[in-house]
Amino acid sequence: MRELLRVDMSSGTIERQPLPEAWARYGGRALTDAVIFSEVPADADPLGPDNVLVISPGLLGGTTAPNGGRISIGAKSPLTGGIKESNSGGQAAHALARNGIAAIVVTGKPADDGLYMLVIESGGEARLERVDDWKGLTNYALSDRIAEMRADDDRYATITIGPAGEMGARAAAIAVSDPKGYPNRFAGRGGLGAVMGSKGLKAVVVSDKGLGYLDHADKEAFNAAMKRFAAAMKEHAVSGQALPTYGTNVLTNILSEAGGLPTRNFSEGSFESADDIGGERQRDTILERGGNAQHGCHTGCVIQCSRYWVDKDGHYKTKGPEYETAWSMGADCGISDLDAIADLDRACGELGLDTIEMGATLAVYMDSGAIAFGDGSAALKALNAGLDDPEMRVIWDGAEATGIKFGVKRIPVVKHQALPAYDPRAVQGIGVTYATSTMGADHTAGYSVATNILKVGGYIDPLTSEGQAELSKNLQIATAMLDSLGFCIFVAFPVLDIPEAFAAIHEMAAAHTGDAWDVDALMQLGKETLTYERIFNQRAGFTAADDRLPEFFKTDALPPLDVVFTVSDEDLDSVYDFVPETAAAMGI
Amino acid sequence: MHVDVALFAHLAAFQPDGKGGRAPRSFELPDGTTIAEVIETLGLPDQPRVVFVNGRHAEEDAALHDGDRLAIFPPVAGG
Repeated sequence: MRELLRVDMSSGTIERQPLPEAWARYGGRALTDAVIFSEVPADADPLGPDNVLVISPGLLGGTTAPNGGRISIGAKSPLTGGIKESNSGGQAAHALARNGIAAIVVTGKPADDGLYMLVIESGGEARLERVDDWKGLTNYALSDRIAEMRADDDRYATITIGPAGEMGARAAAIAVSDPKGYPNRFAGRGGLGAVMGSKGLKAVVVSDKGLGYLDHADKEAFNAAMKRFAAAMKEHAVSGQALPTYGTNVLTNILSEAGGLPTRNFSEGSFESADDIGGERQRDTILERGGNAQHGCHTGCVIQCSRYWVDKDGHYKTKGPEYETAWSMGADCGISDLDAIADLDRACGELGLDTIEMGATLAVYMDSGAIAFGDGSAALKALNAGLDDPEMRVIWDGAEATGIKFGVKRIPVVKHQALPAYDPRAVQGIGVTYATSTMGADHTAGYSVATNILKVGGYIDPLTSEGQAELSKNLQIATAMLDSLGFCIFVAFPVLDIPEAFAAIHEMAAAHTGDAWDVDALMQLGKETLTYERIFNQRAGFTAADDRLPEFFKTDALPPLDVVFTVSDEDLDSVYDFVPETAAAMGI
Repeated sequence: MHVDVALFAHLAAFQPDGKGGRAPRSFELPDGTTIAEVIETLGLPDQPRVVFVNGRHAEEDAALHDGDRLAIFPPVAGG
């Protein structure tokens, strides 16, 4: 039986509650949304007692569904002011699901300034421990302190925040431990680390020692579908070859080639040093230094796109860096050295900050002239400055706050959240997703880059406006579904091209739960998820004017292709046209 | 005519000089050479690929022109 673990930080009480019947088909993003929609007033202070932090494995978490161990963390975002689901890999999703927990729901706020750790032992017994002397610990030090408290033969996952979360930074992230225990996978976007910090929650530890995979309603059918799904992952050239070999950073060269790699704060679309920071060079360097260049970010991953960056002496430095980080700390800051990028990535990992927001923010800061583009050590100093200098802590509040403070004209944000690693002028489809997503500018919300640039799942010319709104809409619905089932969105690459892989998703859902699932039901799940989000955001005050890119994308031509964003407002406003009908059917 | 040819990811091994790497090599080609003809000369594996000429997607039956940059990628994605 799936249950909600309710943790009230005001009273310090913990209660297990059956998952309401109305939410029986929800997990992951759908469930975090449903809880927030139902329990958080749209005008709540994101860092106040009325906000709710929800941590949920997907519907298939805890099973052998390939790449099914992603976790959704949700709350009202202190960065965007809207609803937020931030998605992470790591071991926590499986550990929670194996303990029968559909979601941890953290409410309230301690009356004092106490700092707490939530411990969930294998079997589900849960308690809050006071950890005041951990104040200010960075993620890796915190991880070591937790390890000292656990038995040597324990198996557990951690969910933690660094100093940025404790200090309420709007770009603070939540770290999730990977299969080796490193706190290096992140629910990065939207400042959810600050929400966790506002609740006095420094860490969550979930033990699943001795617990196996979950049983299925129909084991034989589940295993048959699971095997077909895994075979499709292996067969597709992207998930079976490019991603495991070169990691996500295989994208740097192709985006630079296509003129869509935002460079020096979105002033150019190709970076002259792209190959120096790209996935091919990254792989060669890691292998030369004796590092691990291919593993999964969570148990059950068959794609294996993770890797560890190691320093010149072969010592672990950080994960990846992933493409988004190689871009944000690299091309966007004009930095052409992977070691410098890895230092910035590690600093974000220690402090507990979103690497996308921080890279974009440092690029905006560079654009102010305060430090030079390309200066990695100045960037690292600016990133760390917030620890001691309250004035510089504005960096931790993100690109918009920093741009305003330092008088920068070009601030690449939507709904107050920084754009990721694709320029919408050269990749118009992703511009639609950035503009309209309920999350603020977010590439993962509807990855039109696949169809625009990579020719996965068909092809729509990235430089025209035609068809982009419909593409983004369909991808946003499909992504919300995958996020709710607990799948890594990279499964979409084979799923878009191999029909049997798509069928295997609803076959696994049906065989695991015993409920009826088909293609329509999957899409309905995606639509319901987005409908909760859209209506919450409307109640929080968002209007069509918030579904727009900053003006400069329409007026400043991007070299070298000299293109501007041309999708019409009317097209942007069509993306969420399914919401009224879906809301009516849901009775909300 | 001269065309710069850059190959990426595992296709880099198909550069005629055998040195790999993503740096473009300058090819001297007869006028009107198509992308498909270059691909055949290089001996690229018969699998899907993504082809750009001067930063824009190109069809493989398109003819190249003097000074073009041709870039070829295997199927890649991430994010």
